[in-house]
Amino acid sequence: MIAQARKFIGRWYSIPLLLLLWQVAVGSGWVQSRLLPSPAAVWEVLEAEIGSGQLVYHASVTISRALMGFTLAGVVGIPFAAAMARSELWRNLFEPIFFMGYPIPKIALFPVFTYIFGIGSLSKIAFTFLECLYPIVVTCYFGFRGIQTRLVWTAQNFGARRAVILRRIILPAAMPNIFAGLRVALPVSIIVVVITEMIGDSIGLGYYITIWSTRFSFVNVYAAIFVIGVCGFVLDQCLLLVRSRAVYWQRESA
Amino acid sequence: MRSKSTLLLNWTIPIVTVVVWEVFGRADLLPHYLSAPTLIVAALWELAISGELFVALAASLYRVALGFTIGMAMGIIAGLGAGIVPGVRHFFDPLVSFLYSIPKIAFLPIFLLLFGLGHASKISIIAFSVFFPVFVASRHAVLSINPILVWTAQNMGTPPRTIFFRVVIPAVAPQLFAGIRIGLAHAFVVLFAAELIGSKAGLANLISFGEEWVRFDIMFAGIVCFAVLGFVSDRILMAIRRHVLKGHLIGTEEQVVQ
Repeated sequence: MIAQARKFIGRWYSIPLLLLLWQVAVGSGWVQSRLLPSPAAVWEVLEAEIGSGQLVYHASVTISRALMGFTLAGVVGIPFAAAMARSELWRNLFEPIFFMGYPIPKIALFPVFTYIFGIGSLSKIAFTFLECLYPIVVTCYFGFRGIQTRLVWTAQNFGARRAVILRRIILPAAMPNIFAGLRVALPVSIIVVVITEMIGDSIGLGYYITIWSTRFSFVNVYAAIFVIGVCGFVLDQCLLLVRSRAVYWQRESA
Repeated sequence: MRSKSTLLLNWTIPIVTVVVWEVFGRADLLPHYLSAPTLIVAALWELAISGELFVALAASLYRVALGFTIGMAMGIIAGLGAGIVPGVRHFFDPLVSFLYSIPKIAFLPIFLLLFGLGHASKISIIAFSVFFPVFVASRHAVLSINPILVWTAQNMGTPPRTIFFRVVIPAVAPQLFAGIRIGLAHAFVVLFAAELIGSKAGLANLISFGEEWVRFDIMFAGIVCFAVLGFVSDRILMAIRRHVLKGHLIGTEEQVVQ
């Protein structure tokens, strides 16, 4: 029991320790700056802003945009990757777009997106879609290509129809890679939405951060950062939960 | 290696896009903000002659190179430390697992006020966001080393220093490069956002200048430069990786496809 408690403290001491140091440093007046409000002050603002619904509203805007772009990228990207792995024509047509385009920083295209789709939600969702599409397509493509042909041959040998082969052999075999791609894309979607909101919008957590930093109220900025962190963590855990259901035969190496 | 028809297909979409863009742009069938490719090249040439392009490029390159190097070095040192020493690991793990899911760009206003609008704020926020993927990759890499390798070396009386340089480093190198590559991609995203939101120089400023003055050819020239910069850095990193990992590409993407 004591050994367990000691182990637990040994594992998790750093966050409380740093928070305590921070609180003491600010509370004793050793550090005096609007840039570094004490954790207690941040917590107070966090409670107030969640209570008034402000943070909840902006967070829901950000999350819904991120999830829409992310879902769209998944719905389009996974079949696309499968088609690329299956058909030589598709592969030759699109492989350079995805493999050469992968390292190109697409963020620079965002100004063009705002011209095409306007400054509101649509340009953010479209841009998130683009940014998420790349990791999803590339990772799933490797998943679909890595399937051992003898599995497919065996199924064909038993007279399985194409739909059955797809559902029972190809999809399960590619599933770990599909989830790996989704797990890379999910934080990307949140990053992209927050950045684009910071660049220009009137709602969303990115806007919330910008507007409160121009008012020099960094307590609110920290509160918003905290909310983003919690949202990202919760979304990632949800994805892992879905994964453990879908890929129950393989554990995620944490 | 590749047949001619494959190569032709590979280039189909890019070439068709550029040609259609050019023809429709010249015929005024596209919205005015999509400058024709030839106009973009002309703007690039114009900016190159006036030297503006190189000033912006130098500022961006300086920020991203320095920020990336600092973040990478710190990520590798802390990550290897966390992988080898349990105490270091237990200090960093809770912090990183909380901060990892936060887009580092959210800290930009704080960095801007701490370090000002100049180079320092961009360099520090780039370093901050490069740190995390590199740290996570190197930490996981050390922990996933096959212990038999280390035991064997110890059994033969290898000093710890030699084990570190001859066993640990080669074993973690492939995963380390994967983390560094993600870090490089993050560096460019953060660079763009940081320059656009609070800066007076750099490629992103060139882009927003083009936007403000309705010179869309300049905007696209900046976008092209930014894309090329990111692409070339990634290629350089990949070349270094191939050189370092000669013959150790087992289990990496290259091998899966072959």
